[in-house]
Amino acid sequence: MANHRVGETGLTESRPPNHHHHHNIPYAVLHGMNVPTSFIHQEGSAFGFGELEEAIVLQGVNIRNDEAKAPLFRPAATLEMFPSWPIRFQQTPRGSSKSGGESTDSGSAVNTICSKTENQLEPESPISTKNTTPLDHQQEMASDFSRTGTSQNQPVAKLPQEKRRGSTSEKQLDAKTLRRLAQNREAARKSRLRKKAYVQQLESSRIKLTQLEQDLQRSRSQGFFLGGSAGAVGNISSGAAIFDMEYSRWLEDDQRHMSELRTGLNAHLSDSDLRIIVDTYISHYDEIFRLKVVAAKADVFHLITGMWTTPAERCFLWMGGFRPSELIKMLISQLDPLTEQQVMGIYSLQHSSQQAEEALTQGLEQLQQSLTDTIAGGPVIDGMQQMAVALGKLANLEGFVRQADNLRQQTLHQLSRILTVRQAARCFLMIGEYYGHLRALSSLWVSRPRESMMSDDHSCQTTTDLQMVQPSQIHFSDF
Amino acid sequence: MHCQTGSRGTYVPTSRTIAGDPLERIERLASENAVVIFSVSSCCMCHAIKRLFCGMGVNPTVYELDEDPRGKDMEKALMRLLGNSPAVPVVFIGGKLVGAMDRVMASHINGTLVPLLKQAGALWL
Repeated sequence: MANHRVGETGLTESRPPNHHHHHNIPYAVLHGMNVPTSFIHQEGSAFGFGELEEAIVLQGVNIRNDEAKAPLFRPAATLEMFPSWPIRFQQTPRGSSKSGGESTDSGSAVNTICSKTENQLEPESPISTKNTTPLDHQQEMASDFSRTGTSQNQPVAKLPQEKRRGSTSEKQLDAKTLRRLAQNREAARKSRLRKKAYVQQLESSRIKLTQLEQDLQRSRSQGFFLGGSAGAVGNISSGAAIFDMEYSRWLEDDQRHMSELRTGLNAHLSDSDLRIIVDTYISHYDEIFRLKVVAAKADVFHLITGMWTTPAERCFLWMGGFRPSELIKMLISQLDPLTEQQVMGIYSLQHSSQQAEEALTQGLEQLQQSLTDTIAGGPVIDGMQQMAVALGKLANLEGFVRQADNLRQQTLHQLSRILTVRQAARCFLMIGEYYGHLRALSSLWVSRPRESMMSDDHSCQTTTDLQMVQPSQIHFSDF
Repeated sequence: MHCQTGSRGTYVPTSRTIAGDPLERIERLASENAVVIFSVSSCCMCHAIKRLFCGMGVNPTVYELDEDPRGKDMEKALMRLLGNSPAVPVVFIGGKLVGAMDRVMASHINGTLVPLLKQAGALWL
């Protein structure tokens, strides 16, 4: 919100060199205050000029960032609030301002600000939409600002001037004061209108969002079948997008369950209590397999290519997920101590999952061979027919991903049967942590600094590198 | 151990088949061998299930329904038996229905498949 407001009433892009970036004072805080009044009543430096200086800088920064939003640059609104910095404004020609002849007054600056502000909303005031060279004016203002040294001095310097003026001509001061007050009220009113408009915009966006979510929920419950590009958001089908969303939610749940397991183990809960936690975790896994069934129907390629996972996980991908025998291999060494029976059970499990994996892999290979035969060269009697047959064969992919997921699910269930409750809790925790590490590895990999992009002048190069991390790759941990 | 890897398993001559209820035929065929798989020659999942049994050292009896004149009826009967899933592959062990690929794999993982095979005489040790 601050950014939005600042976008209309901030400094130009030419920043005073002695200021640094990245402050974050809400502009609204400053603008909300009825500062001018108090200032005019000469409460002097009781007011925090340092904050103002920061705010001015902030607005300058924010303007830079909000260039798209604010085509017209505005002088700092804080300048509005300190009409007693007239010297600067006097030097800038303000022929276009309402107060025609009052070029020497900060009031004129305020007017110009107002008029420019009005340009964005509705032009209430009769003054112009003189945008001729607002940028120049403001740049001149800003450069004046910087040229005359630290801004800190200026407001203070103006005070005595204000005082002086007041003492010399009481009547004149009142008029000027009244005018300034009026203009400030006007500016405040404009700000309130802008804020209202912005809030309304937010509200309508929120409503739209809830509607979209409802649509999403509805179509998900209806079970939709989509081609890759139907209803695509960017390069991703809506089936894939929905699954990605559900998966990231599942990951958040996963974190929760894992901490429950951890606390359960550390607290030395009774076996029956721990059993409940472990069973909950197994149901949590069952949930993702259910989601994958739907996703396989909607977009099997999304699953099988592992686009829902992080890069490091993707490189270990087997038929749209983890390879059960590999998981068991990872766990075997860490599950000690095991009874002889348990050891036999685990090795037997690993063996049978290897056999099942091999069978599915060979089945998939035959599918690929068959597909190749269908679409590869040769006498094409009927291209469409050929494609139709190929499509039919492709549809079998879903079956393979489903069977692979089934295998994964059965493996996890069997593990929990072989192991004691405590062993099972530790086992699932290990699995969760393993994939957490793999995901973290992916994030680090993607954001690693690259030699070719380093340049001496860019002190914020690391920021850029971090920005290279694709959000989708960080958030999605995989299973 | 030799295993049929081609699309044609042990072929049962039609003269032995008696016209009648396809389900009856299925059950009869299933009881004639230790491990019986109903398949379709072009089906890749059927290929996978055959590979699974061969990999375990089992020599299954395979009926390719697309090569059987009454295959269509039998497919329909199997679909009714299993309820909506693809009709093939379907596995019978020791004359009893085990199920489609998911049931077979589940039973292999939970360790019940091998004892069943041994019991039916399809596996030794």
